[in-house]
Amino acid sequence: MQKFSFNRRLVIIIVCLIVSFALMTVSVAIRNKKSTPPLVQQFGNDIVGLVDRVVAIPSNGLSGSVSSISELLNTYQENQQLKKQVSELAQTKVRDQTLAKENQQLKKEVSLNNSLTDYTAVTASVITRTPSSWQNQVVINKGASAGVQKNMPVMSGSGLIGRVAEVNKTNSKVELITDNNDSANRFAVSITTKSGKTVNGVLSGYKAATGQITMNNITTKAKISKGDKVVTSGLGGLTPKGLYVGKVAKTTGDDYGLSTKLYITPATDLSDLNIVTVAVTKS
Amino acid sequence: MYRLSKLRFGFPIGLFFWLLIDGTVSQVFSVQLFRTPSTMVSHLVVLWLVCGAIFEADSALSMPLARWAAVAGAVFDLYYTGIFGLYVFIFPLVIYMTRRLVSWIRPNFLSGLLVYFIDITVVEALGYLASRAMHLNDASGNAFLVNTLGPTLAFNLAMFVILYFPIRWVYNWLK
Repeated sequence: MQKFSFNRRLVIIIVCLIVSFALMTVSVAIRNKKSTPPLVQQFGNDIVGLVDRVVAIPSNGLSGSVSSISELLNTYQENQQLKKQVSELAQTKVRDQTLAKENQQLKKEVSLNNSLTDYTAVTASVITRTPSSWQNQVVINKGASAGVQKNMPVMSGSGLIGRVAEVNKTNSKVELITDNNDSANRFAVSITTKSGKTVNGVLSGYKAATGQITMNNITTKAKISKGDKVVTSGLGGLTPKGLYVGKVAKTTGDDYGLSTKLYITPATDLSDLNIVTVAVTKS
Repeated sequence: MYRLSKLRFGFPIGLFFWLLIDGTVSQVFSVQLFRTPSTMVSHLVVLWLVCGAIFEADSALSMPLARWAAVAGAVFDLYYTGIFGLYVFIFPLVIYMTRRLVSWIRPNFLSGLLVYFIDITVVEALGYLASRAMHLNDASGNAFLVNTLGPTLAFNLAMFVILYFPIRWVYNWLK
């Protein structure tokens, strides 16, 4: 009898393991191939998201008031610095408006309706964050009904932070570029060097120890120097052109000395996200 | 009697509350918890489950813990990670392990702390192995031990110390 029960336990463990791996493989495959999760999952996520909002609102409000008190302490100094910047910014903004208008007119002239730089911004707030160290994801409060689609880029502050991984009706999951899985941070980017040359490439990973994005396999002869700005190139997929990613922090040769490897400092603090912007491109 | 007690509704409500609080804590304290390279993962829902198993042994009350653990795991998988089939098995396993352990040792605050230590280690280790197998991360074993398991254990044991008596009070009130 003892032997029988031991065998039964072993069988249960093995069956559980197999079922677990099968389920995980299927859901990873669905995640990679389909544009939306299965209907049941979508429905469940919408309901949990709704309940989560009720739980999250008071705590997020509390943390907001705490951080505003701590921000109050260095307001005076910041105010002085910002006043200087504002006057410069007004000028840039006016110029930006004029250029955008001119750009629109010129596009009309050559009957070009949508180019790679066109997108509309959908602002969303972060409801919750996945409590896991392997999946750096946040859940935001805008979904398919607001026009969000899978693989759209997401920004916060001044820079790119990730892409939409899963879309439900009223909320969606955003995979941050700090996530080191096989597909999270493969953005097509371009760098304009100091000499005016453009270098194209793809982001390849994230180095957690230094908090920098890495970019491999660059074979250009153009000299990329520290401080060069990295922006999305708009090639391939739903990412528009010209989203700011970060600045080049270091250039080294790769492990075999054949190509160049870049380390990029992200433009925003990726651990502190409250309000994000989804770049919705018209297709 | 479980069927007649307030626990019948109180336990699932508490379960989902702590499940959602996990995400909220991770979001509100993300600067402190997810400071690269080390990450502290909040597992308050495991704390609620483990405390449930400890008080169940304490008060000779039988609760359908494993079933609710599977439900919580399913919600965790679908809502938080998007990859179904991992925590839906890990959470019931935690309940099974805790029940076995507290049947050998008399459950109290200190032995509960040790049981919780083992549970968190198992949860994190299995999560790491599964995500390695599914190509969701490329961290080495050393990096896992130093950057994730260590800080996570520290955070969760601290939470156990803070929340054990309040949760025990809640269970006694619900009983």
